[in-house]
Amino acid sequence: MDNAEQTHKPPGEAARRLGHLAVSAEGFVFDPTTGESYQVSRTGLAVLNALREGADDDAIVERLTGTFEVSPEDARRDVAEFRVSLQSLGLLHAPS
Amino acid sequence: MSERVIGVSGINAVDNPGPGVGVARSLKEDHDLEARIIGLAYDAMEPGVYLDWVVDRSFLMPYPSGGVEAVVERLLYIRERCGLNAVIPNLDSELPIYIDAAERLAGEGIRTFLPDMGQVRLRGKDRLPTVAEKIGLALPETRAVNTAEGLLEAVKEIGLPVMVKGCFYRAYRCHSVPEALARYQEVIAEWGPPAIVQEALTGEELNTVGVGDGDGGTLGLVGMKKMTVTALGKIWTGVTVHNAAMQAAAAAFVRAFRWRGPFELECLIAGNALYLIEINPRFPAWSYFATGVGLNLPSRLVRRLFDLPLPPVPEYAAGRLFIRYTYERVADLATFQQLVTQGEV
Repeated sequence: MDNAEQTHKPPGEAARRLGHLAVSAEGFVFDPTTGESYQVSRTGLAVLNALREGADDDAIVERLTGTFEVSPEDARRDVAEFRVSLQSLGLLHAPS
Repeated sequence: MSERVIGVSGINAVDNPGPGVGVARSLKEDHDLEARIIGLAYDAMEPGVYLDWVVDRSFLMPYPSGGVEAVVERLLYIRERCGLNAVIPNLDSELPIYIDAAERLAGEGIRTFLPDMGQVRLRGKDRLPTVAEKIGLALPETRAVNTAEGLLEAVKEIGLPVMVKGCFYRAYRCHSVPEALARYQEVIAEWGPPAIVQEALTGEELNTVGVGDGDGGTLGLVGMKKMTVTALGKIWTGVTVHNAAMQAAAAAFVRAFRWRGPFELECLIAGNALYLIEINPRFPAWSYFATGVGLNLPSRLVRRLFDLPLPPVPEYAAGRLFIRYTYERVADLATFQQLVTQGEV
C-alpha cells in the first residue's frame, strides 16, 4: 500500500465532512476540513440541507416540487447533478 | 510575575516577512508575561525597529555567517545593557548558531526553546520521505539528484511539469527540460547538492503551526488554508481549518521526533490525498493568526520555558479569516541614525 492509498478517505469521511459543513441561510457554505467556501442557489441549498438530513432522492424531489415551480423530472435531474458536484468535492461518497 | 526580557529576531516585516513582529505582538498580548521585547535586527530598516508598541528596544546583530562567537558576544552585551532572559530566533539561517550556543546561553541566563540539530536536519528535503512515512502523509514523487544527468533522468521518470528544489530552500515549478536544468544549476550553486526533483501537484495549500514540548506532546496546533498569496508565494489571506488528517500528522510529527520548539507543517491537499510539502523548524510569518484565534503559541512557549502556569490548550474556530494589510509608519530619522551609528536604539 503506498502513501496515497493510506490517506485515501473512506466513504464515512465524505459523510462526516458533509455533516460538518457550515451552511448559512443565504446559501454560503464553508468546509472546515479544506477551508473551501461555496455559494449555492436556493435550490442547491434545499438539496444540500435535505442530503445533510439524510433524505433520499424521492424525498428530496418531493420537497423541491413542493417548494419551487419545478417538474419532478427536472427536480430529479437537479438532484443528480448536485450529487455529482458534491462527489467531485469529496462531500459525498461516489458510488463504486 | 516580574518583567521578562525576550529577544526576538526576524522583525523584517516586509513583502517577504519574517515571523518576528507577529511573535513579538503575541508576547505583548499576554499581559501576565510582562514581556519586554528586544528586537534583534540585521538591518536598520527592518520595520520592527520602528514599531515601538511591539518592540521596546532594538540591537543590530552580526550575521549568522559570522559564526557563533560573534552572536553570543552580542547577546551577552545586550544582556548587560538591558537584561535578556530568553531569545526566540525566527529565521532558518540562525538556527544552527542558536542551537550550537543554547547550552552556553542557558549558562548565562539566556534561555531558548529549540530542537536539536538532528531534528532540524529532518527538514532537509532529502529526508522528507522518511518523515512523511512516519507521520502517515503522502509525498509527491520525489528524487534527490546530484548531477545534471540525474536531473534529466528524474524529469523523464516523473514527467513535466516538475518542482526543482534546493535541499533547504527555493522551489521552482518548471515546465520544460531547459528550465529544470537551469533551476537545478541555480539551487546547486546556492545550497549545494542534492537538488530535489518532485512531481508538481495541483491542489490547495494547508499549513499547521505548532510548538512541540520536547517530550512528544504539543503546546497547541492551529491549521489554516492559504486563500491568496503574494507574487513571492507568501500568504496574504487565509482561513482557519479543522483538518483531522493534518492535525493528526502534526501531532504524529511531534510525537515521533520529540520535537522541541515551534514548527510549521506545510501540506497540499489534492483529491483525497494529503501530501507533505515541507517542515519549517520555526514560527511561520503568519503565526499571529493562531494568537488571533485564541491560541497564543509564542506566549505558551515562553511560559513553558520559564515553568509558568500553562492554561489548557483552547479550542479555536474554523472559518476565521486572516487578512494581511499594508500600513505606513512615520518615524524620526534619529532612530535610524542611532541604530546605524551605535547599533542599538
